[in-house]
Amino acid sequence: MATSPDTVIVAKDLRKKYDDITAVNGISFEVNRGEVFGMLGPNGAGKTTTIEILEGMRDADSGDAIINGINVREDANAVKAIIGVQLQQNAFFDNLKLAEIVDLYARLYRAKVDPVEILSRVGLDHRKNSKYAELSGGQKQRLSIAVALVNDPVVLFLDEPTTGLDPQARRQLWALVKKIQADGSTIMLTTHYMEEAEELCDRIAVVENGEIIALDTPDALIDQLLATGFKPEKRVREATLDDVFLNLTGRDLRD
Amino acid sequence: MKIYLALTVASLKMYFRNKQGLFWALFFPLLIMIIFGIMNFDGYNAPEVGVHDAAKNDASRALIQALRGGDNKVLDVSTGTNEEIQHDLKFSGSRAAIIIPENYGVPGELTVIEVTYDQRFMQERSVVSTVIGQATDALFKEFAEVPNEFRVENSISIDESFIEGHGQGFKAWLIPGIAAMAIMQTGLFTVVFTLVRFKSQGVLRRLKATPIGASHFLAGQLTTKAIVVVLQTYVLVIVGAIVLGVSVGNGRIGAWFDLTILALLGGALFIAMGLAVSGWAKNEETAAPIANIISMPMMFLSGVFFPLSVMPDWLTKWSQYLPLTYLADGMRAITVEGASITTLGSELLGLGIWIIIVFVIATKMFRWE
Repeated sequence: MATSPDTVIVAKDLRKKYDDITAVNGISFEVNRGEVFGMLGPNGAGKTTTIEILEGMRDADSGDAIINGINVREDANAVKAIIGVQLQQNAFFDNLKLAEIVDLYARLYRAKVDPVEILSRVGLDHRKNSKYAELSGGQKQRLSIAVALVNDPVVLFLDEPTTGLDPQARRQLWALVKKIQADGSTIMLTTHYMEEAEELCDRIAVVENGEIIALDTPDALIDQLLATGFKPEKRVREATLDDVFLNLTGRDLRD
Repeated sequence: MKIYLALTVASLKMYFRNKQGLFWALFFPLLIMIIFGIMNFDGYNAPEVGVHDAAKNDASRALIQALRGGDNKVLDVSTGTNEEIQHDLKFSGSRAAIIIPENYGVPGELTVIEVTYDQRFMQERSVVSTVIGQATDALFKEFAEVPNEFRVENSISIDESFIEGHGQGFKAWLIPGIAAMAIMQTGLFTVVFTLVRFKSQGVLRRLKATPIGASHFLAGQLTTKAIVVVLQTYVLVIVGAIVLGVSVGNGRIGAWFDLTILALLGGALFIAMGLAVSGWAKNEETAAPIANIISMPMMFLSGVFFPLSVMPDWLTKWSQYLPLTYLADGMRAITVEGASITTLGSELLGLGIWIIIVFVIATKMFRWE
């Protein structure tokens, strides 16, 4: 597989088995620089295992994961140094203030940053003296993205960044992801919300039973489906229930 | 190194912000110390006396038996060399040192029993002299088979002298034991609770996603606990000594250095124990009972609240080998008796062996996730 210099993530035939469950069964894809790449699929499809192999958090049984030209298998720490990671279950020290958490993680990457500036990028600068335990769910997700940004990462991995968030917080996170992309980062995220994938992703891979069953831009995937003569069961209306909810409760964040 | 420092500073901040942890590390032990100190259990125990038996014959053994009393312990008698019993009188809780001369019980010889009292305890003096008087009287008659009318009044005499002892009783005895217990609690419980919580919340996993990995974090955590254990020992011993009005190490400055070494050894031992437990326990619900099962017996069997001598022999035969017993005994020797750490051979050996055992278990048991 020839990779152009614009390819930041290469996954080559990744496989991973837990006991007798095959979590990842030969997954291959490439992600281009500056792209938001989404991995979609139901729970247990193998999204998280794939993303954790790319992050150097898990060893694949076989196959290669290459980030920015570095093979994860050969130097996981070099990969960890240039990526930003938001795990599905993220937690930080509950007795530290947000600015202290950002500062501590920056030191772990030997990065010099202004914690308040990083916090302001995710809209948390006003909470810099709050403790982690005092944050709402959306704020916790935004803090974990702030922490993932301390080393000015080449690739940002977001594993289900909006799961459990209310519609307002979700939309704010989408805006944040778009802003980070506009700043020049490559982002790979997993989600099981289709509107999220449609809103954010340049390309998506649909994963089922550890395999990629479709990979294209959201528009192309929809066009392919319509070309088969598919008709939605419900008449498409101009607004969704999501719009109704946001119209009733407002778009302001509840933090 | 910078990363390690940053992690240590961060975990120190976390520790001192955790009010609950501070309560268990400082206020709870202080509370116990003060309550027990005020209750002052001295009066409940038979007074300690030391006997040096130079005669080692039937008569001297009978005298020691008489001093011990029957079922009602009159005196808590320990035997030893002259130096040992004089040392105990000066520095430990012993109230009198009794020397039975070589010719004791030999018919016709004039024997002098030398008794030195701690002049602060005159009540004990009257008990000791009465018992010796009665015992020698009766025993001499019986043993020598001398008819009453030929008895020589002064064939046995008691030569009494007095010194001002430095032994400070139960209050002074209590402080190092409680400080040792606090080292156990801090090492075991704070390590278990923070690590199990960080593990179950996923904090450790998030650290694993950084290039430094979680082992640096662990090193920072352990350094923090070691610092906390030493500071806590200083605070408990100083505040205890002030509140209960006792002196530390007979005023020897080196005692603080020795205490620091012992606190670090004890800290290492119980921190490793905490690591082993947190490796084994999946969450806080299982960790707490395990930590309690380990610490509770030691709390009561290691001579923290009461001397081991009040416990039955079959129990102390085992409990003398508990890690907390070694730590408490060592710290007590330093603060109460003014001993130097170089004289604490068996305590250091015991702690050393336990440290090795527990570290081996901890490295086998610890898991990041």
